Formats: sequence, structure tokens, C-alpha cells
Amino acid sequence: MSILQDLKNTVRSKSIHVCYVNVGSCNGCDIEILACLAPRYDIEQYGIYVHNNPREADVLLITGAFSPQWEDKLMGLWEKIPEPKVAVAIGNCPISGCVFNREGSYLDPPVRKHIPIAAEIPGCPPRPTEIIQTILTLAPVIFRDYEGGAS
Amino acid sequence: MSSSVIWYLKEFVRAEWLRKFFFAKTAPLETPAHFRGFPQTTENECTHCFACKMICPSPGAIDVLQEGDTWAPRIYLGHCIRCGLCVEACPEDVLTTGRLLEVQKIDQTSYVSAFHVMIDTVLCKRCGNCSVACPVNKEIDPYLAGTGTASSEEVIMRIIRGEMRVIHPEKCTGCKTCEESCPNHAIRVARVVQGVHGPKGPQGALGGGEAPVLEEGGEERS
Ligand code: SF4
Ligand code: SF4
Ligand code: SF4
Ligand code: SF4
Repeated sequence: MSILQDLKNTVRSKSIHVCYVNVGSCNGCDIEILACLAPRYDIEQYGIYVHNNPREADVLLITGAFSPQWEDKLMGLWEKIPEPKVAVAIGNCPISGCVFNREGSYLDPPVRKHIPIAAEIPGCPPRPTEIIQTILTLAPVIFRDYEGGAS
Repeated sequence: MSSSVIWYLKEFVRAEWLRKFFFAKTAPLETPAHFRGFPQTTENECTHCFACKMICPSPGAIDVLQEGDTWAPRIYLGHCIRCGLCVEACPEDVLTTGRLLEVQKIDQTSYVSAFHVMIDTVLCKRCGNCSVACPVNKEIDPYLAGTGTASSEEVIMRIIRGEMRVIHPEKCTGCKTCEESCPNHAIRVARVVQGVHGPKGPQGALGGGEAPVLEEGGEERS
């Protein structure tokens, strides 16, 4: 790996861009993501920025238990994110369907069936501290050893 | 006006201010110990009464498993919603989280519950599956026939004059085996839980104690 690529990776791992998508959650987890942005937890002080644009994201946060409308859409969204990228499942819903996963429901969890998931945060909802800890743990890993794609 | 601008400028060149502005970074906040987390087990012995499992609102969140000679509840992350109901319902204080047990002791609160067994007479085809499958019935009358006709009057439900009738709903433990064995979804078991004032203990635990009564007309709920 070239020194230039090394330098790029180091710099980029200090500035993580996050995009989030709700594939059928009750909004509880989305509110906890929102709390991460607010002054008490202040996610930007760690160099994590939230955009809702997959084209500029490194991390995709997924909430929700995967409703049928997402069947043909989540993969497309995942492919729009440039390499390197990771997806994080937030809350019980993308892991197991949580309390919604009952007989007769149309949900199709876990989300890891549909796109590759790097980390799962259990909880209904997980706390902002747990969400921030997970992203901070993943941040140095995303760009480590990234060779730089065909550009 | 000009003095306040000067004051601001002076403030902004202070080394302390500059250092904080450029390098401030707090460690992620700690979760305080009194927050309700995923329940942990205590030293107390589990009597596998399944009160925890019966009250749990989330599918697949808790199981009570046998390990060697002892039983122990196990919480599954990704399913458990940290509601703490199992902690409050357990008569033996086997589970704990945050300050829940402590507060429960101070407040002297507990749960009593009962299970209501309802049979939809239109859907029921009187096969007797439910009566035969019920583990409580099996204990009371091991000779319960395949068609649900029992000689014992002590069983939870049995065929009486060609109808499947529930005669002792208070003995139901809420296992829902009958629901699963019914080919017509005719039988429904509803759990009715009531929070009460009074010390916790086996007598006040789920499945025992004085049963809360469903009001007339509420029987349809399942
Ligand atoms: S309620 Fe308590 S004693 Fe009963 S099975 Fe659950 S953990 Fe064991
Ligand atoms: S805390 Fe609530 S969801 Fe978790 S196992 Fe106990 S009763 Fe079930
Ligand atoms: S829930 Fe279990 S104990 Fe109650 S009637 Fe059905 S099979 Fe019997
Ligand atoms: S198993 Fe269902 S259909 Fe058969 S007797 Fe029981 S309630 Fe009726």
C-alpha cells in the first residue's frame, strides 16, 4: 500500500460519514439516533457526521424489522454507498423483528439476510451511548487496509 | 459596545479557551448503574415456575433452561426489550436489573395473574385435542381418552354432552399447548395480569394468588 493511500485512510477514518435508513421501525431507534446528534451526546465531536445521502456515507445505520416495501430497495441503497462501507443494525428489530415478529406479520427479519451487516446493537431501543460506542469501535476498522478502489 | 467587543476578543485568545475549542472531546457517557439493562441472574435458585417467561412481552426473549440439575433463565439479546417485567414477576428474585428489585421491595408491589381459557363454540369441532394435549390435564387424569372424554371432574376442560367445556380454568398454567394442538384455532388462552400492593412471594406470583376477574364482555379478548 502506498504511503499516500495510508495517509488518505488515516485522514478519512477520522471523518466518518453516516447515513441512516428506517426499514420499518416504530421510530424509537430513530429517536435515539437523533439524540446522538443533540448536545448531550454530540456525535460530531468524534468526527462522525450524519447525512442522509448514501453516496457520501461510510456507515449505514439501519433501524426497523424489514417491511416488504424494502425488498427491492435496500440492496439498491446499499450499492449506492461507495467502498469501503459497513452497515450497522440498530435495535432488536433488524436483528430479530422484536415484538413485531409474530404469527401473521409481513416482516422479514433479520436484515443481515438482505445486506451484509458489520455490527448489531441489541436493545429496544439501544441507548445513544451504545450507538456511539459501536460507531467509534468500527471507525478505525473501516478504512484500515483499504487499497483504494478502481477510480 | 466597543468595550464588549474588546472583552470578547480578549476572551477568545485565552489559551484555556483555545485549547477547549480545538481539543474538547468527552469520552462517551457511561450508563449509570441504576439504569435498567438486560436482566442478570442473582445467586438465588430458580424453581422453574416459568413466571418470567409467561410475562415476557417479546417473542423469544427469555427461556428457562435446565443445566445439569439446576434451572436458570436465559435472556436473548436482540429479542429482550429491557422492560424488566421478568425481574418483577420472578417470585424468587432470580433476575435483577438496575434498582428494580430494591424499588419493588420499598413499594411492596407484585403481580397476580390468571389465565382465561376460551373456546369458540362455532370453530370448535370437538376433537378433544386440547384436552388431551394439556399437561395439567394429563397429570390429573392420565387415562384421559383421545376424544377428550374424561371420567375426572377435576380436569381443566373436557367433553361434556358433546361440547368441549372449560370447567377449571383456574388450574391453567398458561403453557398454550392447547392452542398449538387445536386444528381450528378455536381455543385461546389469555393471560390477565394485575399489579397489586403486597409483598412478593410464591403465593403472589404469577399463576397463583387471587385471580383477577375479567369483566363481563371482556371474555372475547385473546
Ligand atoms: S420466574 Fe424466577 S424462579 Fe420462576 S422460572 Fe423464571 S427465573 Fe426461575
Ligand atoms: S426484560 Fe422484558 S423483554 Fe427482557 S426477558 Fe425480561 S420480560 Fe422479556
Ligand atoms: S394453556 Fe396449557 S395448562 Fe392451560 S389449558 Fe392450555 S394446555 Fe392446559
Ligand atoms: S382442539 Fe380445538 S377443535 Fe378440538 S376440541 Fe379443543 S378447542 Fe375444539
